[in-house]
Amino acid sequence: MTDQTEESTIDNRTFRDKHSFLLFITISILISCFVVFVSMTLYNGSGAAQLDLSRPGYVSVRSQAVTNDGDFKDYPSTGGISKDVINDFISLYTKQAQKVKAVDAFGGSPLDPDGLGIGALPSVTNR
Amino acid sequence: MKISKVRILIFFAFAAVLCGLPLMKVSAQDNPITDQQIQRIKDNCLSTKSTLNQLHASDGLLRVNRGQIYESMSTMLMDGFNHRLSNNKLDNNNLVAITNSYDSTLDVFRSNYKTYEEHLSSAIGIDCLKQPVSFFDALSVASADRTRVHDVIIKLNQYVDQYQAAVSQFEKDYQGSSAGTNN
Repeated sequence: MTDQTEESTIDNRTFRDKHSFLLFITISILISCFVVFVSMTLYNGSGAAQLDLSRPGYVSVRSQAVTNDGDFKDYPSTGGISKDVINDFISLYTKQAQKVKAVDAFGGSPLDPDGLGIGALPSVTNR
Repeated sequence: MKISKVRILIFFAFAAVLCGLPLMKVSAQDNPITDQQIQRIKDNCLSTKSTLNQLHASDGLLRVNRGQIYESMSTMLMDGFNHRLSNNKLDNNNLVAITNSYDSTLDVFRSNYKTYEEHLSSAIGIDCLKQPVSFFDALSVASADRTRVHDVIIKLNQYVDQYQAAVSQFEKDYQGSSAGTNN
């Protein structure tokens, strides 16, 4: 009698009961794939990818990244205002402004086809 | 609900014009390059790719380093001084307006650089031996994007100058009002 009952119990097990571990693994992989997809979308969409110098193409320049510019002091938003305070700010600001303008960033035409040796490149606006 | 034939004709004419506009734009972009140029692209494919990879890396570094400086100008200096004036109940409207314009332009810089980097990466990804024309076109787009990034940098520098001039003006006004109060 007991054997018959056990047998019927085994027969009644569903697919989920039989392969619960396999299902668990499969669902876990699917969830992790989804999470990776979401995070990669955010990584690429937010512009973080462009700042990530740990990517393979940036190995040669990685060490040149400025991690802490000690020159930049957080200007205190509290305190009084006087002629000296304003002058101090002006001298601090002027120093940093010179640093900003010191480099003609993204200037020049390194993508000029003549420079690259692949012929005359018409500008897109003229095309 | 009878629609006259004239109206139908006008509708189709209007639709044809609308459909034709993008086609005209596409045809305007299709600038055929000469066979000589194609051969040159193929011949210099490896060296061009190498140069582009170097540029990609150096521009990435430039983006990180310059981006930090531009960001610091706003968050560490302009915002701090603006808040200080505000806390002292002094008129800082002009300075705040310039800071807001600067911040908006900084957003444009981030967005433009992102577009440029994506286009340059896709140009680097194109096989210039098999697809020289696509490679050339992708390069043209990346070049135009780079120019746009440079234009934004010029604007940012102008705002930096404007803010400096506005602070100098504020100093003069402050001195004038202080002298007036003392008298």
